[in-house]
Amino acid sequence: MAEVQAVSRPPLILGDKSLTQITSDICSAMLRRPGALWWIGFLFSLTLLAIGATVVTYQVATGIGTWGLNNSVGWAFGITNFVFWIGIGHAGTLISAILFLFRQRWRTSVNRSAEAMTLFAVMCAGVFPLIHMGRPWMGYWIFPYPNFRGPLWMNFRSPLAWDAFAISTYFLISLTFWYVGLIPDLATIRDRAGAGLRRRLFAFFSLGWNGSFRTWQRYEIVYTLLAGLATPLVVSVHTIVSWDFATAVIPGWHATIFPPYFVAGAIFSGMAMVLTLMIVARTVMHLENYITVRHVEVMCKLVILNSSIVALAYGTEFFMAQYSGNPYEQFVFLNRAFGPFAFAYWTMVSCNVLIPQLLWFKRIRTNIAVVFVLSLLINVGMWFERFVIIVTSLHRDFLPSNWASYRPTTIEVATLVGSFGLFFTCFLIFCRILPMIAMAEVKGVVAHERAQRRNRK
Amino acid sequence: MSADYKKYWRSLEEYEAGDALDEQAAEEFADTPLREGAEPGRREFLLAAGFTLAGAALTGCGRAPVEKAIPLLRQPEGILPGRSYYYATVCGGCSASCGLLAKGRDGRPIKLEGNPEHPVSRGGLCAVGQASILGLYDSLRLQQPMARGKSASWREVDEEIAKTLDGIRKEKRTVRVLTQTVASPALNSQIRGFLKGFPDARHVVYDVLSASPILDAHRQTHGARVLPRYLFQKANVIASFDADFLGTWISPVEYTSGYSEARAVEATPPRSAWHVQFESRMSLTGTKADRRIKLAPEQIPAALEHLAVRVARKAGSPVLPAAGSPVPLPDEVLDELANRLWEARGRSLVVCGLPGAEAQVLCNFVNHLLGNYGATLDIAAPSYQKQGDDRELTALVDEINAGKVGALFLHGVNPVADLPGGEELAKSLARIPLLVSLSPRLDETSPLARFVCPECDPLETWGDAEPVAGVTAISQPAIRPLGQARPAIESFARWSGNGASAHELVRSFWQESVYPRQAGQEAFEAFWKKSVEAGFARVRPQPMAVKPFDVQAVKPMSAGRSSTGKLALVLYPTPAMPDGRHAYNPWLHELPDPITKATWDNYASLAPATAGRMALQDGDVVRLLISGNAIELPVLIQPGQHEKVVAVALAYGRTVSARFANTGPKWLEQRPTPGPNGMIGANAAPFLLLKDGSVRYWRDDVKVTATGKRRPLAVTQAYSSLTVPKNLDPGGGPRPIVQETTLEALGTGGAKHESEPVMELWPDDHPFTGHRWAMTIDLNACTGCSACVIACQVENNVPVTGRDEVMRNRQMHWIRIDRYYSGPPSDVEVAHQPMMCQHCEHAPCETVCPVLATVHSSEGLNQQIYNRCVGTRYCENNCPYKVRRFNWFEYSRDDRLANLTLNPDVTVRSRGVMEKCSFCVQRIQDAKAEAKLQNRALRDGEIQTACQQTCPARAIVFGDVNDPRSKVAQRMNSGRRYRVLEEINTRPSVGYLKIVRAKKTDTDKEGGARG
Amino acid sequence: MSGRVMVGIFQNEDDILSVTSEVRKEGYTILDIYAPYAVHGLDKAIGLQPSRLPWVCFLLGLIGATSKLGFEYWASASDWPLNVGGKPWNSLPAFVPITFEVMVLFAGISTVIAFFIVSRLYPGRRATSVIPGVTDDRFALVLEETDAAFEPSDVRRLLERYGAIEVIERTGESLP
Repeated sequence: MAEVQAVSRPPLILGDKSLTQITSDICSAMLRRPGALWWIGFLFSLTLLAIGATVVTYQVATGIGTWGLNNSVGWAFGITNFVFWIGIGHAGTLISAILFLFRQRWRTSVNRSAEAMTLFAVMCAGVFPLIHMGRPWMGYWIFPYPNFRGPLWMNFRSPLAWDAFAISTYFLISLTFWYVGLIPDLATIRDRAGAGLRRRLFAFFSLGWNGSFRTWQRYEIVYTLLAGLATPLVVSVHTIVSWDFATAVIPGWHATIFPPYFVAGAIFSGMAMVLTLMIVARTVMHLENYITVRHVEVMCKLVILNSSIVALAYGTEFFMAQYSGNPYEQFVFLNRAFGPFAFAYWTMVSCNVLIPQLLWFKRIRTNIAVVFVLSLLINVGMWFERFVIIVTSLHRDFLPSNWASYRPTTIEVATLVGSFGLFFTCFLIFCRILPMIAMAEVKGVVAHERAQRRNRK
Repeated sequence: MSADYKKYWRSLEEYEAGDALDEQAAEEFADTPLREGAEPGRREFLLAAGFTLAGAALTGCGRAPVEKAIPLLRQPEGILPGRSYYYATVCGGCSASCGLLAKGRDGRPIKLEGNPEHPVSRGGLCAVGQASILGLYDSLRLQQPMARGKSASWREVDEEIAKTLDGIRKEKRTVRVLTQTVASPALNSQIRGFLKGFPDARHVVYDVLSASPILDAHRQTHGARVLPRYLFQKANVIASFDADFLGTWISPVEYTSGYSEARAVEATPPRSAWHVQFESRMSLTGTKADRRIKLAPEQIPAALEHLAVRVARKAGSPVLPAAGSPVPLPDEVLDELANRLWEARGRSLVVCGLPGAEAQVLCNFVNHLLGNYGATLDIAAPSYQKQGDDRELTALVDEINAGKVGALFLHGVNPVADLPGGEELAKSLARIPLLVSLSPRLDETSPLARFVCPECDPLETWGDAEPVAGVTAISQPAIRPLGQARPAIESFARWSGNGASAHELVRSFWQESVYPRQAGQEAFEAFWKKSVEAGFARVRPQPMAVKPFDVQAVKPMSAGRSSTGKLALVLYPTPAMPDGRHAYNPWLHELPDPITKATWDNYASLAPATAGRMALQDGDVVRLLISGNAIELPVLIQPGQHEKVVAVALAYGRTVSARFANTGPKWLEQRPTPGPNGMIGANAAPFLLLKDGSVRYWRDDVKVTATGKRRPLAVTQAYSSLTVPKNLDPGGGPRPIVQETTLEALGTGGAKHESEPVMELWPDDHPFTGHRWAMTIDLNACTGCSACVIACQVENNVPVTGRDEVMRNRQMHWIRIDRYYSGPPSDVEVAHQPMMCQHCEHAPCETVCPVLATVHSSEGLNQQIYNRCVGTRYCENNCPYKVRRFNWFEYSRDDRLANLTLNPDVTVRSRGVMEKCSFCVQRIQDAKAEAKLQNRALRDGEIQTACQQTCPARAIVFGDVNDPRSKVAQRMNSGRRYRVLEEINTRPSVGYLKIVRAKKTDTDKEGGARG
Repeated sequence: MSGRVMVGIFQNEDDILSVTSEVRKEGYTILDIYAPYAVHGLDKAIGLQPSRLPWVCFLLGLIGATSKLGFEYWASASDWPLNVGGKPWNSLPAFVPITFEVMVLFAGISTVIAFFIVSRLYPGRRATSVIPGVTDDRFALVLEETDAAFEPSDVRRLLERYGAIEVIERTGESLP
């Protein structure tokens, strides 16, 4: 199957590279002294990170009251950011695992950075459930561990507990998957590097990899197994995140459509983020030949697909509310569209449903700059989707006497900014110290294509 | 008996036995090595040493510092550490003098409760009474006397005063004592005795909330200056002309309990008194009226006149008051009322809160024609709860301004802040040779005084009260004075050369004046003991020289001034802050006003139409101007208020409220609690009018101008209707949160509750064998007075959060009272709904807590475990009733004196944990333990939650539904019972009883929701 | 390892694939092949048995799942039963999500660990590659010179015929 496609398609990697060229291209990208662009980006994100760290310290020291929450709206920015980041993470796994299972060769250029993105996104996500607690220093109580209080374990019926397990599992598995994928490349760099700390480090982490084919064979098996595990995992994680809301009684949360809706949304936002990062990386790291316009285009197609799924979900929600005949439910959705938070709702709709429709046009799909802007807009829209779901459902629920409003404090905004700081700082460091593209896999693809061509002659 | 420590006593026997008991106590230890004075032998020594060692080791175990383990030096008889005890006493919150039980713990009073035996207040207590315990622990209370602004010793002060008084006596200068109504007969006679010594001396009484016109009117109509005792419980038809008798008028607790008795639809025979309220603003009483008639202030007297004419015609009275100016009312309204009143002759009641005696005379006339005197109004045994005389006050003010007063003693009053023309008065007060203030705090007036002789808090001293003739109450101390303050009665005794203590003074007064009036045969001792224990005694009322109704007194009213085009300013007291003397009390400031739900401010209420016409929003600051006096207040739009009225609450803008500058958590975006003037609200007293011998509470010449400034109000309820906004309304009418029914519906078979079918999805793993706690709340009885809110706050150590937190919707009250409007904004119907944790059987909050910090007890309680909570707030989000409260910050507890009110049975919550109503689990456990000790079953009604105990309307019933005979179980079976949000199957343990509407209107459907 | 070995070094995928099968046909013993990436079809060419790692994955996953489910039931229904929102002691549906997560965790981590063990990969292990460049662009075929039947010159010729850019003979000591 893949072969047939490969025949009919332009090469995935441009400029007929030899294997050595590939190695040197990619390694030199990381050995080259960092350019001005990189430094600007890095210092900027480092500043954001510093801001975030400061406000979080202040918040933990002073009290969660420094967030704009109140007796009716117990969650807002914090959990919105949490769901947003988790969603971002999912695209990484999708590209590395699911596309691997589908033998999509084009993934090889992007999967390494996509997986890195997953890790960093999950790190950012993980911060929020912790700091949104009234007493973060007691956070470890949501894991069952032997203790002298009975022992008092924990409530396995609580979606938040499910979350804790899902997120930590997801992080560990993604980390393993990423590392296993790195080993051969680490070995390559080790063998190129001269003596010194650098070599010793890579030697240490490449676990003495020597390209023995017996190992290669097992390696392939393990990689496939991990991909097979990660695929249901990524679905389960966001399903569980959606259960945080779906299992609640609050109208606007209490909806069976949430799991698929959330998973689609997650991959949607993740794809957008991958696009953003890829486009930045290929220009900053000069990898145009590896991350080609064709890659961008393929991603865009996936974005349209997910956008449509999300649109369907929005429609279904309204229909179900109308169809349920439940006045509380009906009110919540009217309130979303026309209530005090209508601006958030319509931002969400236009960014997630209307704007992505432009990607139907090839001329737009292939215009890197435009795609970059669109990907940013989609991220904004997806952030607002979570905000709308959480806040508009809480701020006006059953008893009108409880109705309240919500406005974020500077502390909250700064925390969100800080999370972006954390993400980009990690990502930029990653670009510098590790191969952004899976050399071993790319080599496989290139050699394979060359073989195809020779056969054709 | 040494005086070095406070000696508490359980029964009077002990009190009298005195030292004998101490000796006994000493003997108790006769054979122990701990005996004082016996030089120990070796064994004793070792024993003692071992004991001490063990003791030391043990005290080392506890968290509490050793010196706090037992606060009393030597353990008094009858007081066990950790066990509560109660002293019967009298509430000092206002002159209504309700009966109290002061709950003490380890030597300090921690809570006030209504005395259930008390014949006047009948166990109820209002918000102010509940909060007044904070006055005792007010760290800014004066700790010792002051002379010329500097603190001095009592000896110096007394000597100087005595010297000055001699001078005054020689110079025959005038001596005046200005007090509010003195509820205490003992103090009254003491003051009389004090004044006897002077040639020209008078005791002038005035009340901030004056009832003077009523007394004056009775002098005219009945020849005696009396305030009748209103017996609402006997009335079947009630007409109130601007008298807020459920909220602030004379004796709200007494009247509320009477009122709810008169409207007890489940009683046998069923009662449902028909109540018509004439008023210009929305009062608490107005919210309960079956018919609320909204009139401009100047029209209300006219309406009364027209009613009087109609009733007079029916009665065929020779005298017909001339009906003056016409009233914008359809005739049938007054006709219907007249008919109903007439049909209910002797079982009806017309009350009138209007200023000016003429109106009151008319009111008396109507009551007289209806034969209500002696039935629903008692003037043979009248009320002494208000004795103020505005004529004398006017005279005194003139005297003062004329500089004629030689010596003036102020007790319980703050004329500079409470009276119009305060500044002028202040100047002339400063000129008085001897001005003595007994004020316990530095307010607007006391700093002017040459001597400030702070009086004790009522809980610190002996005293008495006679709220209504024939009911005399003793107020006994619950704690020894915390500072050097001295009871007023002692001070006056001192100044008349009598060094006796308050206890002796009160006791001897009772021996001379009260004892002779009692019927029983027993000796004084026995009588005294009985009275102290019970907290009150029933005695023969003082004979009243009441003449039969004098028809001649009825004159046509001075033509009711025709309405000017301008807005009328109505000055009113709020149930939460009826009197500036409470302005120091943060609980009362943070208590949402029962109607507007606003906290920490007073404001200018405008009718929606008026606000619309003036293009004003909630929170726009307006400037009120009357003849030079101007104040600036934020606007609050009040549905149901008359379009020509701007209403402003009195008792705000007091200097004592400057103390709240630091209230509330400190953080980046925090906003201060006090207003721009550094105080809470603005003082509207300058707008009052002392005119022909009565205080006028409304002006018709106010100029209202927008300032362009904004001051958003801290309102706890943002949305006030059960119908969602029009543009978001999916249809389906109002939400069935508050339900109501009608008398007809109740009559026809609605009597029993049809049990709904139970659909169970899960195996029944949690049967509630044994107790199952539940609560019912009668929405028909609830007046929204909010006493329960404060009672809960005191009982459960609920912190004060400050204005900013309230604005951010973070108030901490465990029980709140939701207020819903329905009908057109011009003329709304109001429903009050107390809302607290519903203790759902299928509690959504429990399922979602990851750390098991909230779980269900085997007795049906939804328990919150503070020290397990990590503060995810998931429970709060998932609570359909939003009754959970979160500690967003470490709410300050840095006032160590105020902390003495903390209930040791209830954990003080720290930052970052969730909290909520616990059904007063500490009380449940207490009662269970008690029953176990006595080896008997719990009795129904033995456990009373704080909110239930204080409720004057008896709207709340708590108990064990598994006991079919319990009151709560029976009320659960009432046809009026429903549960909030039953449809989402949370199975609440709280049942509500529907409001009963006397009339059927198109909005009311049987059992249907209110809009 | 004893005896001498012959190492053929190749530059592209096809050559190594074809030479491997040829060499096997001739009946020489292939010690190992070193490659910069996983060459598809090479395992068949050498005739390697399929790995048993999937079994490890399956069993550990199963163990993880069952033990977690057991623990959840024990903790909520037997060790300290608490009435949570009136839900039954054994709320099986609610126990499923965590069970699943733990299963995935166990399966994934254990598989990787097993892989490291069987492939003798561990931090700090000295990498011993026959020739530099197998992690870059070289393919190395390592043959064992077993018995007399092994005629180095023939083999050398055979390898060169298949495009070996270089053929080295070594003693086994220097081999992994």
